[in-house]
Amino acid sequence: MKLLYELPDEVDCLIKQIIKTRPVLYCVPADLDYSGTYIDGWLVITSFHMVYVVNGRLIEQISISEGKDYKSSVMVGNGMLEGTINGSAKLIVRYTMEHAERYTHIAAALNQLSVAKEPAVKSLEYDNRCPECNRMYPAGTRACPACSGTLFVFKRLFSIVKPHGILLIAAIILFWAVTGIQLFIPYLYRRFIDDCLIPGRTDVLLIVVYVGGIAACNLLIMFISIIRDRFMIKAGNRISRDLRHMVYEKIQMLSLSYLDNKKTGELMNRVTGDTERIRNFIQTQSVMTINQVFSLIGISIVLFLSNWRLAILILIPAPFVLFLSTSLRHRIRRMYHQQWRSMDKTNSLLRDILSGIRVVKAFGQEQKEVNRFKTASRELTDITIRNEKAWNTIFPSLGFIMGLGNFLLLYFGSNMVLDQQMKVGELIQFTQYAGMVYGPLNWMGFIPRWLAEAFTSTERVFQIIQEKIDIKDKNDAVISKINGRISFKNVTFGYRNYEPVLKDITIDINPGEMIGLVGRSGAGKSTLINLIMRLYDVDDGNLTIDGVDIKDMSQDDLRTQIGVVLQETFLFSGTILENIKYSKPAATFDDVIRAAKIANAHNFILNFPYGYDTKVGEKGLTLSGGERQRIAIARAILHDPRILILDEATASLDTETEQQIQEALGRLIEGRTTIAIAHRLSTLKNAGRLFVIEQGGLAESGTHEELLKKKGIYYDLIMAQRQMARLR
Amino acid sequence: MEEGSIRFIDPKTAIFGRTEGGFLKLHIEPDEDYSRVSLHYIFPFTAGNGYVSVRNYDSKEIGIIRSMDCFSETAKELLREELQRRYFTPVIQRIVSIKEEFGYFYWEVITDAGSKKFTLRREHHSIISITEKRILIIDVDGNRFEISDCSKMEPKFVKVLEMLL
Repeated sequence: MKLLYELPDEVDCLIKQIIKTRPVLYCVPADLDYSGTYIDGWLVITSFHMVYVVNGRLIEQISISEGKDYKSSVMVGNGMLEGTINGSAKLIVRYTMEHAERYTHIAAALNQLSVAKEPAVKSLEYDNRCPECNRMYPAGTRACPACSGTLFVFKRLFSIVKPHGILLIAAIILFWAVTGIQLFIPYLYRRFIDDCLIPGRTDVLLIVVYVGGIAACNLLIMFISIIRDRFMIKAGNRISRDLRHMVYEKIQMLSLSYLDNKKTGELMNRVTGDTERIRNFIQTQSVMTINQVFSLIGISIVLFLSNWRLAILILIPAPFVLFLSTSLRHRIRRMYHQQWRSMDKTNSLLRDILSGIRVVKAFGQEQKEVNRFKTASRELTDITIRNEKAWNTIFPSLGFIMGLGNFLLLYFGSNMVLDQQMKVGELIQFTQYAGMVYGPLNWMGFIPRWLAEAFTSTERVFQIIQEKIDIKDKNDAVISKINGRISFKNVTFGYRNYEPVLKDITIDINPGEMIGLVGRSGAGKSTLINLIMRLYDVDDGNLTIDGVDIKDMSQDDLRTQIGVVLQETFLFSGTILENIKYSKPAATFDDVIRAAKIANAHNFILNFPYGYDTKVGEKGLTLSGGERQRIAIARAILHDPRILILDEATASLDTETEQQIQEALGRLIEGRTTIAIAHRLSTLKNAGRLFVIEQGGLAESGTHEELLKKKGIYYDLIMAQRQMARLR
Repeated sequence: MEEGSIRFIDPKTAIFGRTEGGFLKLHIEPDEDYSRVSLHYIFPFTAGNGYVSVRNYDSKEIGIIRSMDCFSETAKELLREELQRRYFTPVIQRIVSIKEEFGYFYWEVITDAGSKKFTLRREHHSIISITEKRILIIDVDGNRFEISDCSKMEPKFVKVLEMLL
């Protein structure tokens, strides 16, 4: 996201006069004045000052160090930058929502500058508009469809199409063959009529030759079309397969920090929807377009060569028809959009009332709801009738208008025949060609929309394929067996570079030790764990395992030796057996049973009719939270990790289940370095040491008893929880 | 204050003013002082300019203004200004053009706050009808615009509005 705009010349001159040599660090629009009028305003920031300029005039200059607590406050439809300047709150500038996110960065930078720090604020977000033409990028892309242009799409598509080029070229050649034959058939008709259908002449052989020729041409078209379509289907599906693989493989390789910003549905859509749209574009739309363009050129050449006057007659209504069909298409789209909306409204009303029928009855509102539904339903009926009527009028009319050229052709053509300037067969040939002109013309109306769709899909897919992998293994990554000593040395980390979540953390964890992480939600406990798993890289400081920097270790190697039991245990669709074996596919039945027994899962699994072969997940049996967790523990036991991470592993369970899980966990953690996060502090009693994390820093550490004696944050948390428990 | 009871701000005892930094302050006689307050519509669509919640800096409600009419002209002006600041919704006086390109509608309009270009997504609930004629438009960035009477716009734009509604 742009934080350093280029200033208009006159503003730039003014700024140079005011701030002389200081480099401008940030410069953003402040496009709303205090009274709510759009203005050409700018906020310019150097290391010491911020300058507010409106319409080329200096409004205010503020020394940054005289202020603190700079903040971007978003209100409804606009936002403002405020700060405490010389002790009192001040509204600095106002802006429209287009710049709202920009100002969160600006406020962060001002806060750093106010304490005389070099600002490290960089925006990782992207602008959603093209800097050249200010058009919006299509959702999920970073390329402007207007500025990058059609060539850009084809260049990108070319790289995917290349390996399957032969198939596509073959398909296109076969297309041309079909077009050629199609163009030849009217000629045969003409010769047939002119040579055979002469009164008084009965040459049966000639009739057989011509009729046979026409039939043979049609047969040939059929065969070539079948082969051509097979080529196209093969090429298209291979291309979409390649794309799907490329996208999916890349998603698996990308770090969580990238994936965190994307919704699952959006990613799924890219793997399936967008690749499918690209396939359709390559396989059908673009190939057909090439073909239609060539048919049109071919037909036009033939028409003009045979009789240019008649050719003009056929083509006269073409622009008119094209214009009419395009504008009608727009109108029809609008009509059906309205109908769809009305339908949607009626359906959601129905859904709403049916699911809330108890409330309706309880408050005696039946009649009101009946009336409401009747109104919506009546509106839908009216719109539908109106649309159907229009549809039934428009289409036959369009057909008639498209045939107008034919009437002209017939009229003038028959006159020419009667004047003996033309033969009957020639006229028939012409009418057949005339019928072939409008197909391609109609087709072309759709091209812009297809191109736009293909552009967006291609962009979305390529954006993932070309994404840089931010957590990479070094070439000389160490592969080693982990012993389990974890050391944080002055580690600082933030998901955004100017908002550290963990600050200067120094911790040593011994092999085989169990550590409990305690703190309020949002304190940074889960972040600490994410770093150990190297889902993110630290910004500052060192994180070592057995003395080796985690950045020097191979990620695969590291993660195969770390086991995780999460609060929300995710089971994949499949059997219980498959889910337990997920971490170690080579495990034997004996291994699985042993792991399940240690995890206190064996008994409940056997209560299911299909035992370990019971299907779970999306289409299978729904397991309770406690059951899922015990399966996850069995999975972790089988995995036999050196480092174990338990994240809220015993939240929200009944006492008996919790006891069983505690027992299972007790067995699991034996001999492993374990780091556990739990809100319920009683579950951390077994921990060797507890680390209390407060606002991203290590606030207290020690055993349960030591911390209680200290009467600090941990003591307060324990007391607060006891009180809550008593209240319940 | 009792749960469920409403404290209405009394125009006779409440004195609104501006701080030097540009924020709204409130003094309620005899001795209640708020160095910075904000105003929130309680029923933004249904109650017009009535029912405004006055809140302190920590967003706790101090009281409710039932109707602004009972306040002095100066106070009314201050309140109106503050509400316009919080709910910045320029009223569209004329639509200059609406262009559809690549799934977005690009609008160029003249509003009571000046001329403005903004963008709407095609398949999105970006227009809310408040009454039969009055609509609220929310653009891709979250800017808001109001059209007080749709039927007064040019017919070709009314068609586009109908489709987007």
